Amino acid sequence: MEQLQYYFKISLISIKRAPLPYLLTVLILSLGLGMFFANATFYYRLNSDPLPQKSDKLFFPMMLLVPWDCDSGCEPPPVLSYSNVQKLGSSGIPTAQAAMYSSDSYVRLDSKQQPLPVRLRLTQRDFFQLFDVPVLAGSIWPDNSARYEVVIGKQLAEKLYGTADVVGKSLLVDDRHFTISAVISPWQMLPRLYDANNGSHISDTEQLFMPLETAYDLNYMSATMSRTMDDTDYRQLSTQGRTGALHQLQFWVQLDTPAQQQAYRDFMLQLAQSEQAAGRHPVHINNQLPALRDIVRYFGRESGDVKAYALVTLLFLVVCVFNASHLSLNRYISNQYEFSLRRALGASRWQLQQQLLVDVVVLTCITLVFALLIGAASIQLMNYLWPFNSLFASWDLSLLSALLLLSLGCSYLVTLYPSLRASFGALNQQLKE
Amino acid sequence: MSFRLMIKTMLRRKVVTTLLLVQLALTLALILNSMVLAKQTYERLQEPTGLDLANTLLIQIKPTTPALRLYPALGELLERQLSAIRQLPGVVAVAYTNQSPLLRGGNNGNLHKVGDEERNNVSTVPQYYASADIFQVLGVELKSGQLPQVPQSFDSDSSPPLVVTESLAQKIFGSDNPIGQVTNQGTIAAVVGDFYGQREADMGMYNTIRIAPLYGVDWGYSLLLRVEPQQVVSVRSQLDNLLRQVDSNIEIFHIRTLQEQHQRLYNTEYGLSVLLALLSALMLLVTMISGYSNAHFHVLKSQQEIGIKRALGANKVTILLELLAEGWLCTVLGGLLGVAAAVLLNQALALVISIPVLNGWLVVLTLLLLLLCVTLATWYPARIATRISPATATKTL
Repeated sequence: MEQLQYYFKISLISIKRAPLPYLLTVLILSLGLGMFFANATFYYRLNSDPLPQKSDKLFFPMMLLVPWDCDSGCEPPPVLSYSNVQKLGSSGIPTAQAAMYSSDSYVRLDSKQQPLPVRLRLTQRDFFQLFDVPVLAGSIWPDNSARYEVVIGKQLAEKLYGTADVVGKSLLVDDRHFTISAVISPWQMLPRLYDANNGSHISDTEQLFMPLETAYDLNYMSATMSRTMDDTDYRQLSTQGRTGALHQLQFWVQLDTPAQQQAYRDFMLQLAQSEQAAGRHPVHINNQLPALRDIVRYFGRESGDVKAYALVTLLFLVVCVFNASHLSLNRYISNQYEFSLRRALGASRWQLQQQLLVDVVVLTCITLVFALLIGAASIQLMNYLWPFNSLFASWDLSLLSALLLLSLGCSYLVTLYPSLRASFGALNQQLKE
Repeated sequence: MSFRLMIKTMLRRKVVTTLLLVQLALTLALILNSMVLAKQTYERLQEPTGLDLANTLLIQIKPTTPALRLYPALGELLERQLSAIRQLPGVVAVAYTNQSPLLRGGNNGNLHKVGDEERNNVSTVPQYYASADIFQVLGVELKSGQLPQVPQSFDSDSSPPLVVTESLAQKIFGSDNPIGQVTNQGTIAAVVGDFYGQREADMGMYNTIRIAPLYGVDWGYSLLLRVEPQQVVSVRSQLDNLLRQVDSNIEIFHIRTLQEQHQRLYNTEYGLSVLLALLSALMLLVTMISGYSNAHFHVLKSQQEIGIKRALGANKVTILLELLAEGWLCTVLGGLLGVAAAVLLNQALALVISIPVLNGWLVVLTLLLLLLCVTLATWYPARIATRISPATATKTL
């Protein structure tokens, strides 16, 4: 222990002797680590798996069930019509399945209050099971039929009522009376992979959920992606939306086993063939069944800018490590005489290496503090320039541990060559210099 | 000052020289690609839009009650809003529209001449439903035909006449006269000058406009105002209050100039350009520190050598130039490596973002910038070297 304290003391003396080169080394290394870490935060979060236990069991089926002909090269639409969902949902194979879309609404407790804008998810009962949404109180709708009941998030409930104990209470959604059937716990699915087809996976999760059938009855239009492929009037969901080629639905199925997955693929193939026979499917069959974990890539919604910046910040980090090594080398060569003298007085190379390891620890600690400060500032700047990514700006223990390891690794790399150069070499010559 | 001697000196410090060369190469690669990207973003922001960006205001708005989102209440609300805005001093014209120009995506559909879908279908064309003053607000010129003056409902027997932009008419009808031609969206009544619609459309300048009531306002709608140049700030500051006085049951999402809207259209590219520029500046700083440190350390270690040179007749300018020349040589060598690194980086970036290929004059410019920075960084150590006395040579004896 005493020896360790001695090494720390020597390390601090060495810093005090030439503070400017040391400060420059720390500054450069911190800059590289901070800038890299800021972008790595976004990259890591944007590419993280919000449902690791079932992201390979949830699938988004898509088929070319479209009212036009296509010989080859046609991709299935990224949103489904109501009638196509009915067909794809008729297999009985999935453990759970739900269609959904999003819309905008205004809510208030009574007509005297100012309306509050709220993003709605219009979906079916199994949504909550599919995405492991935690229910705090009440119960989810017993089936998929239309009903004037909503599920509300705890934060919204507290905002409106001042309490989360709101099951059974009434709420005006777009001036229509609804009853709250359940309250969900604070829940954040980041990225929100069930809504990736329009790049909305980087948005916040919804706080209000309404049955899909009710939404169609009340003509709630999709707030993200809606495509009319025939003469259907997209404003008339209640009368034309269930039969026309109005594509606006996402559809997710849970297929737990490989056998279930294969059975569903076979079902989709049979469906395509039977639709072909009925003249409702083009010659070319192109069924798709991407899993939740691959969905962002499938829809081509990966953030190219974050990727590009990740590459560049990695290069910057490399340059900073090279530069810090350069400065460190100069510093150690300047102290060469001292090292050689200690060797001449009997210090072993291992003892010198121990001293250098202590130097690495000191460098890591100081660098880590500066890197965190620079990283936080850089994240603020990135949030200002790319506000749409701001939900992905938080650090957690695994990210901070990664930074610590990276700082340690970089500090070691920066000190490695100079330390070897100082510890090895011809002692006589070094003492003469 | 011998080139061979300089190379020998560099080779004597292989590790340090290699580290410096790699840094210089990567710095040049990053700066070059940052400049290319910044140039592309700047060019996009300077592209002609056919619109008076600075003097046109955009209000994005939505009624908060379902009753106000349906005609006839919606029609009355629009009329009240438009009349109130027209009363403001400095407002030249105002119109409602289902969406503004200069968007990433929005309401759009395909357009083709009836019976000729196979040959000239344009798949994604923005569709505007607007009031008759929209042409005056946008400031687009009538090229041919007659502009519709009265809103015609979609729910009537015939669909409203269609106004198309010049480039779209050219694409679909070629040299034929487009006026009176029947398309899947209606009959062409007029052709107007081009203006920028949506980034995700087939072409930015392809647009169709119909003078019609709003088809639905569940996504909100836009009010567009043409304002006299000196009155933009004053009019803008009054709009929020004015519209809430007209009817408080509205949500105003934003009020901005089309100039701001145009910048938002490229905000991801702009953001990346700013971040890369910042990183390039930091990289230059790091390289300058490295250059300074390298030169300073070299001077400290070579005091005796420099002293001997001075004793043998080298003057201060020779010593200064010799040290600067070492930095220049290093920079040029690093720059050559950097060009290769820049090409590789450019190719890697092109896999994930839209970035143009590198061009020659930017390479030269970047190299000159790097030379300037290295010169500045080595200037002070080189000046110190010139102060080494020839008497220092005697210490070696």
